[in-house]
Amino acid sequence: MARRSTAGAVWWILVLASAGLLAPPRAGAVPAYARQTGQACVACHVSFPELTPYGRLFKLSGYTIGTRQTLPFAVMAQAGVTQVKDNRDDEGNEVVPKTGSVQFSAASLFLAGKVNDHVGGFVQWTYDNLNVNAEGNTVGHSGIDNTDLRVVGRIENAAKTDVQWLYGMTLHNNPTVQDVWNSTPAFGFPYTAPPNGIGPAAATTIDGGLAQQVAGLGAYVFWNRTWYAELAGYRTADGVFSWLRKGQDTHTPGGVARLAGTNPYLRLAYNREWGPHSLMLGGYGLRVNRYPDNTLPGTPTDRYTDLAVDAQYQYITDPHTVTSQITYIHEKQDYRASYPATSAGSPIGAGPTPANARDTLRTFKWKGSYYYEHTYGGTLAWFATHGTTDAGLYAPGSVGGSASGSPNSTGYIVELDYAPIQYLRVMLQYTAFTRFNGGNRNYDGAGRNARDNNMLFLNLWVAF
Amino acid sequence: MRKSIFLLATALFATAAAAAESADEAAEKLATQVCTACHGPGGVSTSPQFPRLAAQPAPYLVAQIKAFRANTRGEPEAHDYMLGMVTLIDDATAEALGRYFARQAPAPGTPGDAKRVAQGRQVFEHGIAERGIAACATCHGAHAEGNTIFPRLAGQHAAYLVKQLKAIQSRLRQSPVMHGIIKDLTPAEMDALAAYLQSLG
Repeated sequence: MARRSTAGAVWWILVLASAGLLAPPRAGAVPAYARQTGQACVACHVSFPELTPYGRLFKLSGYTIGTRQTLPFAVMAQAGVTQVKDNRDDEGNEVVPKTGSVQFSAASLFLAGKVNDHVGGFVQWTYDNLNVNAEGNTVGHSGIDNTDLRVVGRIENAAKTDVQWLYGMTLHNNPTVQDVWNSTPAFGFPYTAPPNGIGPAAATTIDGGLAQQVAGLGAYVFWNRTWYAELAGYRTADGVFSWLRKGQDTHTPGGVARLAGTNPYLRLAYNREWGPHSLMLGGYGLRVNRYPDNTLPGTPTDRYTDLAVDAQYQYITDPHTVTSQITYIHEKQDYRASYPATSAGSPIGAGPTPANARDTLRTFKWKGSYYYEHTYGGTLAWFATHGTTDAGLYAPGSVGGSASGSPNSTGYIVELDYAPIQYLRVMLQYTAFTRFNGGNRNYDGAGRNARDNNMLFLNLWVAF
Repeated sequence: MRKSIFLLATALFATAAAAAESADEAAEKLATQVCTACHGPGGVSTSPQFPRLAAQPAPYLVAQIKAFRANTRGEPEAHDYMLGMVTLIDDATAEALGRYFARQAPAPGTPGDAKRVAQGRQVFEHGIAERGIAACATCHGAHAEGNTIFPRLAGQHAAYLVKQLKAIQSRLRQSPVMHGIIKDLTPAEMDALAAYLQSLG
């Protein structure tokens, strides 16, 4: 039965994609920024959301190029079907819900565009149709998604041939969402993944750990299209900034991250373009003081220090495009609050229960893509996370646990993309794990192997 | 009476001059803050996706802006990148942009394969008589520097030149005079011409 509905699902998605082929190639309806500039999506994007050099300048210019629209809205939606290699745990329970049949996964509404030549940005609101609530039921849920609002200025060079200083401020709610090279976590590959998909237990804080939970205020400067520097501060999005995390569960212990004070972020990048090539070499860092339990803000805080290097290369011509991004994040976890409390036998609420006073966690990500005529694309990605063995943090447990107490997880992603028209993309994505939560075979202590978590994901993404 | 006409004429001239000046300021701002994002500092683009505009004759540039508006430049990039941009450009700004780019310094040429460059130079300067292909230099200038409505080709990206020649051949880009001249050019001849022109400064 499941096989028939999967085949039917695949057929359904391919029919829809073919319908896109029959649509007039240069239809009028395009997303908000395309409407504002009158340009096609390919002007700014290699393939949404990866940015071209012009797309980077558009974003750094505060999204202010073009003519302000009366209705600065855009919508996007995704539907797909997920298959997990072994979707039953050791007790026969389903691991990932709603697999094997086509599911409408999410829809977003964007308010996006320029206010004037100096102010612009976007606010994204997402309805997650496959949200799993605390009781384990799939109940649709909506909330704010990535948001980036900017004020910008420009100083031309003396010869009046170019902007020499492009500078601005950004208010956003996800560290690195403001970055313009798709090598940092927020807009890094993969750009979409199986809903409720199985993922390793450990990830560095900057790798999505604070998304839509913080208010970030940053100041940046881009000099001569060559040197980029940014300094930002992140605070928990409460009080006047609480709209930046609207929809998050702030009442349940462990529902959101809660930070103390203002937490610094620094980003430096060297950018160079020549012929059809562009290259970026850079680094970024974030240090946060985090309450072990977000519902207990009176306690001491743990400290996480993330230092990272990254690079991007793009070769953009007609008809061939080749791109690659790479990043390496090193996190120092200082459990200066959680460790003493755990050692004394009384952990702080729902906070971490480390066996060590200090741990490190390191994540390496690489991705390479090829696109032909902005239409047919393939991507290969490699990810590897390694860290200190800590049985207190990574305990045995079916599917999500670790028998060895190690967070080490490695794997790769292979993705094929087809975009017959600019506002529709069909994607086939395969995620494979060679190591999961510290092991290859029986990694969780309940007999599960790393490859049992492999996922095949067919997805349709539309944007207007 | 003559004095009042003179004063009126002076006032009109001053108003026109002031208007032109502000159109030039607006064009300079647009050029440095928007156009250079793709066409490069001073109109010298790095990527062959985007043509170099530096030292283009102003009448040619203005004619292209009008062609984008009228959709007579039907190649995909014209639609994908430029159709929307021309909504930012009214006639006065278009004229001013023409003046801005015309006075920018052109980039030095990029040397290419010697054999192809020599072959391209031969076609550019002498045409191909036996196939009735006129010498490009006749309209585009002895050094491909351009002339009024005929664009500067010297120093232009070779890949861009080939793309335009093909667009004109296929009539995606509506240019009847050019089409008549180059309709029989082979891809190899286009490559040679482009290599020669890219090498010129």
